[in-house]
This record gives sequence, structure tokens and C-alpha cells, in this order.
Amino acid sequence: MKRFRTTPLWAPWFFMGPFLFVFLTFTTYPLFQSMFLAAHQTFGPEHSAFIGWDNFRFLLSDPRFWKAFKNTLYFVSGSICIQLPLALALAMLLNRPNLKGRALFRLIFFAPSLIGMVFVAMIFRLMFEKRTGLINVLLHSVFPSFNLEFPWLDTYLMPALILASLWMHAGFYMVFFLAALQNVSQEQIEAASIDGAGPWQRFRHIILPAIAPVASFICLLSIIGSFQLFELPYILLNNTGGPQDRALTIVMYLYETGFEIGDLGYASAIGWVLALLLVGLATIQRTLSKKEEQ
Amino acid sequence: MRFFRSLFEKVPPGLAVILFLAIVSGLILSFKKITQLEDMEMWTPARNHLPAYVPFIKGWNKEHPDQQFSISHISSRALERRLLSGFFSGTPVANLTEIHIRTAHHSFAGPLDAIGFVDLTDRLKKEGLLDEINGPSFGPWTNRGRIFVLPHDVHPVLLAYRSDIVEEAGIDVSQIETWEDYFRMMKPLMADKDGDGYPDRYLLNIWDTTGAYIILLMQQAGGRLFDEEGKATMASDINVKTLATIVTWVSGPNRVGMEMISNSASDFSLMLDGVITGFFMPDWLIGNLKQKLPTIAGKLKVMPLPAWEPGGRRTAVSGGSGLGFPKAAPNFETAWELGKSLYFSEEIAIHLFETASIITPIKRFWDNPIYDRPDPFFSGQPIGRMLIDQAPYVPTRTSSPYLELATKHLVNAAGNLKRYANKNNIFTVEELLPEAKPQLKIAQEHVENQMARNIFLETTP
Repeated sequence: MKRFRTTPLWAPWFFMGPFLFVFLTFTTYPLFQSMFLAAHQTFGPEHSAFIGWDNFRFLLSDPRFWKAFKNTLYFVSGSICIQLPLALALAMLLNRPNLKGRALFRLIFFAPSLIGMVFVAMIFRLMFEKRTGLINVLLHSVFPSFNLEFPWLDTYLMPALILASLWMHAGFYMVFFLAALQNVSQEQIEAASIDGAGPWQRFRHIILPAIAPVASFICLLSIIGSFQLFELPYILLNNTGGPQDRALTIVMYLYETGFEIGDLGYASAIGWVLALLLVGLATIQRTLSKKEEQ
Repeated sequence: MRFFRSLFEKVPPGLAVILFLAIVSGLILSFKKITQLEDMEMWTPARNHLPAYVPFIKGWNKEHPDQQFSISHISSRALERRLLSGFFSGTPVANLTEIHIRTAHHSFAGPLDAIGFVDLTDRLKKEGLLDEINGPSFGPWTNRGRIFVLPHDVHPVLLAYRSDIVEEAGIDVSQIETWEDYFRMMKPLMADKDGDGYPDRYLLNIWDTTGAYIILLMQQAGGRLFDEEGKATMASDINVKTLATIVTWVSGPNRVGMEMISNSASDFSLMLDGVITGFFMPDWLIGNLKQKLPTIAGKLKVMPLPAWEPGGRRTAVSGGSGLGFPKAAPNFETAWELGKSLYFSEEIAIHLFETASIITPIKRFWDNPIYDRPDPFFSGQPIGRMLIDQAPYVPTRTSSPYLELATKHLVNAAGNLKRYANKNNIFTVEELLPEAKPQLKIAQEHVENQMARNIFLETTP
């Protein structure tokens, strides 16, 4: 019997074409181009010189890169250690069936993540101002001895950044945890309660293993997002890394090098180091998750 | 065809509408011819220049029917990106464009012949225009001895003060000659009258993070971050002394400075509430202030900046813009004629002063009586004349693609020195000098390391 092909051979290419065109032009080509740039020193396309590993070698001895790296790690740890537990706690609180106004609270906690990062940064910039900022004015009115010039955006830059990010992202991650918690078997929890398991034991042995895949995914999402921190400090600190580069992040340094100093080769090298770092972290996370599943 | 027929039968109506719109709009866009309304273009990042330029260009277009120009306002950063992209990749750029100083610095990072602006040096000499313009105004636009941009302004800096508060306290500012005099005579204003344990007022908008003002003061003292050849000179003795002095102003229990840099609403409230009583006041900020803080009119006066030493320089310089002619754009001669008419027009110069308080660098216009007019915003002081009196003495700046980087490291050095002062409870210049020197040396080394990597820049650090 003769078989008729219902879909012409060109159909998949026709439909995939636009995506492939955009992907090759705006992702694959720049990726290879940045590899080329990382090994070159350039001033526009007409002036280019091969310098091999020099950009990477300079990076290893560049104190500003290491400062940015340290700051970024600080922010990542702050995000993981504060943001995620808080998001989980909020989700557990709002998952209680007898809580009144659950839907409203969920909306309230989730609402900040609907606002763009740039606006959050602008709002927090005003809030952290000395003398006129909401935070200092409020604290000064409650505790008159509190210094109106408390330097949030000077000495306490990273805590201020973590606080602003916490306000924005805790509600976002809460939604993921909430979805995971709603899939935890209630029968199992009830059975454990009848067997005498306390709240901590129920959390440790039933809830946590059940939400582990989602938690691990959120953790990875948060790490990648935190490593890419840029807009928040950039706007909050008026296009600088703050006093003594206290809030200079890897991506900010990449931007500064590439677009303010104009050293695209060095910026590409920084970009590759960041990319390899994230690939490494994702691989570790994936390996650990697989082990956990097994 | 069977395939398409079955596809259309299966496609939901909503998706069909989206697909239809996408295909139609795609076709329209691909066949739409991009038409340019005018033959030639001028860009400017300065919105406050437009009221003077737009009527001028309309007039030019009437008089020159075969040389039509249009003018566009583009924000500074967007303009810089478009311009540098044009220099590097040949995308269309304007025939002439105003730029801010930072854009010029960024375009100077490569070999001299690769700088995207037309070299104006010989033309300026040939046409005798060099002497017409205030000498120091060429500084930021000159690189490796060549001038690439026509200066638009002088931007001398005066010191504004809250005259209502100062005069009520019986302080006679005419007795102030140096910074030391200024802080000594103004000190009574800092008394803690509300009893909250902190001074009620501070005397100057200076802080260790305000890099632009630290540089401004260094230049006033005779220092600079780079020399004419582009070599870093951050750790010079004069810079070390200036930095140490500034740190004594912003640290310790008797500090006199306060942070105010961004001209935001909260900064203006500090000004209006009299929390800060003295501010650096370049001419461009005067226009800005008149527009954004009209309620402070009559409460401010200006005086020349206090000098570092008796008989020393009583002004500084801040910001700046100029007119460049991209090499990649055609019709340079026509663009040059327009640019020259624009920048050497007395009418435009007066308009700019009246609308934005900016004084022209063209020296022959300085005699215009408009500059002697009393300004009610400054309690009747002839602000134009006061600025022009200082214009010839503004410090000559140098240009470097690494200026922004140097500023960042300078701010870091200032912050480290302030931390050192607070930690060790030392707040005198003499005690801070031994620490200021190594801090600035470290800053300079960082900049030199970056400079040394640039194989296209002929200058070696």
C-alpha cells in the first residue's frame, strides 16, 4: 500500500525558520563573536589585535573584578539564605486552610514582583536617602536619637540591596512554594500527626522531601538571577558601584568595562567567566538533585 | 494546497486574526520606504539648548533652500551609543552633533586617526577662530594636541549661599577670600539650636562620594588627573593636599560638608530648608535651579569661590558640551558653516543666557549689557557679569578616555582616607597627608594598569 505524506518536508523548516533566524543572529553569532572578542583588543571593527589569554590573565589579577565577584557572592548568599526561607515561610503561612483573607495576602505579597526592577530601585533610592528618606525619617520619629543621616547607601549598601531585592522577590518565590505545598499529600500529613509526629518532624520528613524538586529549581533560579544583578544597584547608586565599589557586581563591572571604558574584549572575558561559573553551578545543582531523586 | 486548506480549517479565529495582522504589518514594514524629511541632521543631548536652536535652524533653512537641516533632541547616553556605533560600524550619524564631555572622552580611546570626529585644529587656526574662544574651553575637546570639538560654553563655578540665613547671622561675605575664611566665618551657622545632638546646618555640598566636586576643587587648586599627554597624574602633591583637606571637611565630629549631588527633589529640599547653606553653582545649574526650584528665589546670592590660598583662583569649572562633526557624515563644509553660524551668533548666545543662564565662550560677546542685568533670583546681583568676570580664569582641563575610571578610583581613595580618619580620630590635613599619598598612588596604579592594556593609545602611562 502506498503511504501518503500529509506534511510536506519543508513545513517544519518553514515554521521553525523565524525562530532559527533570530536564534542564530542574536544568540549563536554573538556567542562566537564574544569568544573572538575575549581573545582580542579592539577599537571598532577596523582596529583589532590578537592578544590570546591576556584578558583572562589580567582578570585574575584585577582587584576590581575580585571586588565585584565578592560583592556578587555576598548578594547571592543573602538572597539564598534570607529570601528563600522567607518565601517558604510565607507560603506555609498562606497555605493554611483556616487563614482568613488568604487570597488577599497572596496578592499583597506577590504584588511587588509585578513592578519593574528599575522602579523598585528608584523607590528604594528615595526611601534610603539621608535626612529625607522614609526609612530614616520614620526611625528618627520613633527613636529621636536615631541619626537622620544613617548611611544606608554608603556603609550598609549590600544589606540595603538585599532588603530591596527581598521586598521584590520573596512574594515571587512564595508562589512557586505555594504551588508545591498544595501538592503535598494531606493524608500523609494527617497520618503522621496521628502517629505523633510534631510540626518540625512533619516538615522535615514529609513536606520538605515533597517540595524538594521545586525548592531546588527555585534555588537555581535565584542563584542565576542574583549572579546577574545589575539594574538594582545601577539605578539605586546613580550609575556607580557605590562608595569603595561596595555594590559593584560582576555584570555592572562587565557593563562598565564594555560600554564606559569601551574595552569589549575584556568585557567579553568577564562575560565568559560569569557564564562558566553559572554553568558550573547549574551542573552541581543538577547532580545533587539527581542524587536526591535516586 | 491541501495542507494550507486543512490548516486554515483548524486555526482558531483569534489566532487567525493575529496571524493576519502579523503578515499584513510585516509586509507594510518591509515595503515601506524610509524617507528623510531633511537633507542634513543635527543632534543635541541638551534640551535647554533647543529653544534657541530651533528658530535659528528654521531661519537657516529659509535662507538656504538647498541646504536643509533638521534638529533632534536625543538623550545623552542614547546619543553616545548611536554616535560610537556610527564611528565603529558606519551606521548613519548626524552631520553635526552636540555632545557632552564624557562622549568626547569615550571617542578618544583609539588611535588618533580613528577618532570619529573631524580634526578642527587647522581650520580653527586658519579661520582665526582660536583667539575668539575662551582658551580653557578647548581643554576637554583636545586630545593628543588636536582639537576635535567646538566648545559651546565656559561653565565657570561660583559659590551660592543662603543669603537670608547668612545675612541674618550678621556674616559679611565680602571678608571671605579663602576656604579657610569661609568655614571659619560660617561656622556659627552650624549651631545645634534644636538640641537633637546634630548641627542644624552644614556649610557646603561636598562629600567623599561626590567625585565631580572633588575633581572641581583639585582643578581649582591647580591639580588634574591627567596631563596634556594623557598620562595619569592623580597622585601629584597638589592633589594629595587637596584630597586630605577635603576629607577633613567631610569627616569627624566637626565636619562641615554634606552629601548633595543629584539635584533630586530631596536634594532641593535640603537647599530649601537651609540644611546646606553653601553650594557649588556652575552657570548651567543656575538655569536648572530657576526652573526646578523657583521658590528659593530671593534667598540665594552668589560669590566667587573661596580660593585655596590668598590671591588664588576664585573659580572652577564643571561640565560642558560642544559641537562635533562626524567624519562618516557627508557635507562637512555645509555642516561647518551651520555650526559656525550657530556657535558664533550673538543672538543665540544671549538667548542661551536668558533661558539657561549659560555664558558663551566667545569673548567678544562678553561686553553685551545683557550680562549686567540684575537678577531678581539672586537678590538683584548681576549674575552674568559675575560669571564672565571669572570666565578667563577657569582651569584648563585635559581629556582622557580613562577619566571616568580615574574618578571612580579617586572616590575610592577619598572614601578610604575618610575611613582612616574616622578610625584613627585624626582630622587635620597634616596628619592625613601621609595616608593620602599612598591612597592616591594606589588609585593611579589601577588606572595605569588599565591604560597600559590599551595598545591603540599612543600614550603610555
